[in-house]
Amino acid sequence: MLNTHSFRKGVAGTFVALAMVGGPALAFEPEQPECIAPANPGGGWDFTCRQVGKSLQDQGLIPSTMQVVNLAGGGGGVAFAEVVNKRNDDNDLIVAASSATATRLATGAYPGNTMDQVRWLASVGADYGVIAVAKDSPITSLTELLDQIKADPRSVAVAGGSAVGGWDHLKVLIAAKEYGIDDVRAVKYIAFDGGGEAVTQLLAGSVQAFTGDVSEAKGFVDSGDVKVIAVLAPERLPGEFADMPTAVEQGVNAIGANWRGFYAPKGMSDEAYDYWVAQIGTLYASSEWKDVMANNGLAPLDLQGAAFEEFVSKSVASITELTAEITK
Amino acid sequence: MSDRIFGGIGILLAAFFIWQATVIQESPFSDVVGPKVFPIMIGCVLGLSALAFVLKPDPAPIWPPAARLFEIAMAVAAMVAYAIVLPDLGFVIATALAAAYLTWRLGTPPAQALLVGALTSGGIYLVFHVILGLSLAKGPFGF
Amino acid sequence: MDILASLGDGFVVAFTLQNLGLALLGCFLGTIMGALPGLGPSNGVAILIPLAFTLGLPPTPALILLTSVYYGAMYGGRISSILLNIPGDEPALMTTLDGYPMAQQGRAGEALALSGVASFVGAFLATWGLVFLAPQLVKVALLFGPAEYFALFTLAFATLGGIASTNQAKAAFAAALGLGIAMIGVDGQTGVPRFSFGEVHLYDGIDFLVAIVGLFALSEVLVFLEHRGENTGADAAKKVVIGRITPSFALLRHCTPTMLRTSVLGFVAGVLPGAGASLGSFISYSMEKRLVDRNGTFGKGDPRGVAAPEAGNNAAAGGALVPMLALGVPGSGTTAVLLAVLLALNITPGPLLFTQNPDVVWGLIAALFIGNFMLLAMNIPMVGMFTRVLMVPPRILMPIVAMVSFVGIYGISGSSFDLLVMVGFGVMGWVLRKLDVPLVPIILGILLGNAMESNMRRALTISDGDWSALVASPLSIGLWLVALVGFVLPIVFGRVLRQRMALAKLKEEEGEVID
Repeated sequence: MLNTHSFRKGVAGTFVALAMVGGPALAFEPEQPECIAPANPGGGWDFTCRQVGKSLQDQGLIPSTMQVVNLAGGGGGVAFAEVVNKRNDDNDLIVAASSATATRLATGAYPGNTMDQVRWLASVGADYGVIAVAKDSPITSLTELLDQIKADPRSVAVAGGSAVGGWDHLKVLIAAKEYGIDDVRAVKYIAFDGGGEAVTQLLAGSVQAFTGDVSEAKGFVDSGDVKVIAVLAPERLPGEFADMPTAVEQGVNAIGANWRGFYAPKGMSDEAYDYWVAQIGTLYASSEWKDVMANNGLAPLDLQGAAFEEFVSKSVASITELTAEITK
Repeated sequence: MSDRIFGGIGILLAAFFIWQATVIQESPFSDVVGPKVFPIMIGCVLGLSALAFVLKPDPAPIWPPAARLFEIAMAVAAMVAYAIVLPDLGFVIATALAAAYLTWRLGTPPAQALLVGALTSGGIYLVFHVILGLSLAKGPFGF
Repeated sequence: MDILASLGDGFVVAFTLQNLGLALLGCFLGTIMGALPGLGPSNGVAILIPLAFTLGLPPTPALILLTSVYYGAMYGGRISSILLNIPGDEPALMTTLDGYPMAQQGRAGEALALSGVASFVGAFLATWGLVFLAPQLVKVALLFGPAEYFALFTLAFATLGGIASTNQAKAAFAAALGLGIAMIGVDGQTGVPRFSFGEVHLYDGIDFLVAIVGLFALSEVLVFLEHRGENTGADAAKKVVIGRITPSFALLRHCTPTMLRTSVLGFVAGVLPGAGASLGSFISYSMEKRLVDRNGTFGKGDPRGVAAPEAGNNAAAGGALVPMLALGVPGSGTTAVLLAVLLALNITPGPLLFTQNPDVVWGLIAALFIGNFMLLAMNIPMVGMFTRVLMVPPRILMPIVAMVSFVGIYGISGSSFDLLVMVGFGVMGWVLRKLDVPLVPIILGILLGNAMESNMRRALTISDGDWSALVASPLSIGLWLVALVGFVLPIVFGRVLRQRMALAKLKEEEGEVID
């Protein structure tokens, strides 16, 4: 079993190497690969572009350096509009996206734009949501936190890194709703500029709970400053994250993942589309990428091409439904 | 007098600002304070401070004569034109033209101004594009 | 002793030929980028990230290169502030207030050299602060909740009075204008667009760099155009006077207390996430003015007015590394970029960074010391070279300044829309200068507006709309008191003080009675 597996891998590797030597053997190869990060340097999208660009080049999956362009504005809206309106037939271009992109598409925060104006390439992993409290908090489980919110919503302030109505906020609401809290709008959510700031305020004692991603909380969990009371994953995460209890096992059926991936211009040629899907897919399967994922607390989410397109479409639909339900 | 007119404009601006703040579309989710309160507070400070120098103006500054004002307006027009044509004309040509125009209007003989414009453009291209690697507008000739 | 041993290990890591070369390269490029209007430390670092990756540098050398750029840009910003009255980047804003008057008085060389020394002192002390106090200082950052941040920002605005303007109402107007401009764009709390009139380009608000370059650089060009040919002969000759290029020992000694005080103040401001270097230099200047400006010389070319913001902003640059390394929270735009670099290099900053990656941390700190000495060694001899800029006739220099400003903005954002907004700010800056409305408060308003509003709203959301929460902790009460004193004192005692100052000028010995 193990042998055939590594044998196959070896063959595949040889083919990749041959293709590389052969050069024009590939149907398409980008001249100037470019990745748009729809935000300023330092955020998740920027990280996605730079990390994937670097790994693709390190593994020889793209012929030259990936140029990362930061095109900030409108929470990704400016970049989306730029791709749709001006760069619709660019074969060398990919754009970083995440759950936040889907959330904004669902809530109409990109005026006049919809998800089918671009082609969705592939995912590179997912960051499961966590709900955490400070180490000296009397609360020890998700149900205790939700009980307290149920009894007196004013007594618990939950901090997160997204705007009100954004993904970090929705995650708590999903959990609250699943637990039978009817008026979820009473849940007190405080929006900060990024998960780091939100965790800091949890440590400072300004707020009682934190909602964010595994990767945002990781450093503080390792140091023992915060304790995770629930991971919003279907089952426990592997490795060093295995100690964190899931919401599901506490009887709260809440799952929330912040996926990371890419989209490309709608008018991209099929050869180019297949090329990018294949290269990102190969990258995803590599052991180097597994290390990157492990280091950053990214969980597996292996979707390419049509499967990814369907996944994004489903998540846009479910967020639309969720916000409509909550705000009605 | 200048201060009174300016203060008047300031008060109008403040009123417009406050009005715009009141028509902000609130989302179904909102925090306790909401997106309107702080802008309205700012609008009030803006209006009050403008009122203060309507009532107590400083001595008026010396405004340039009409010919000079026209000169300034032309320079601004040149900058606006530069901003608009930059993506189409390419960085080097657009910058050379704009720099030459400004140099000329600041009192350099026309021929010398063209030379200065070309050198400015080339120098900036060298530093920003070649050395620092910033992507500048490409234009039809690739520069 | 433990710390010193670790620092020693750090120097071992940093002292390779390659690392020293990278530090030198970074310092040099950083100084240039800091001096160019439109390019500041944060985009300077961002621009050089690809270089670090293309060279295939391992984490420590890459960090050494990028932090050298960071410190270099903090040094470089002052050059155009002093020579051209155009801040090279936002922390150098306050240096224009006394630096440019000094240059006009023919003391450009002295101002540059003095500010170089002040930058060194600020950065040097801050780096020691980083070595010894990082773990303790994290606790200071944790004392600041939303209410305390709001009080801190209010304090910054309350002490505005009297800076660069004689008319308080105009300073208030300018601050409100800046705050108003900051409100443009999508509201960070609820995600609804405000004052954007459906224009997608406005959704992310107006970048303060666009405002700073327009208000200062382009309006300067218009001012030159306005006065073209008016004062040739005598004035043109005076421009070329550069003065001595090394500060006298007496001057340095005169400014030493200022540099020491503002280094501490700037460092603490830098440690607070969200406050950053601009607030550091601003508070340093206004506090120092309150403290030592007995004869009203600040704003007219007082060397201490140059030393204060430069020591303050460089100390803040060092301080901002504390929350980034120890909490993983960026205290400024630049540290946000550095944070991204660390993550891309598979290093997770946070409470465990010092124990998990000691070689990276101590190598970095050692590199900061090395870069700092290099910058001092590089900057003092280069003063003579920089001042030569003033020998270029304005009719050629000003168009270059304008074009560099355009490129700086376009090269980062790639948007003509930003260029148009910038021209708009240029015209606005020209009109406001004519009317004697100070420009500094506008920039501060744009820089701090969103953080100020967000923290107010966070504090009120936590307290369920109870406004007394803004003054609930001892720290916030303290900050409010300082703000109140800073705001009310000049108004109530302004007249009295001015009379006594006049008296003090007449009788030298009375000066001691007053302080």
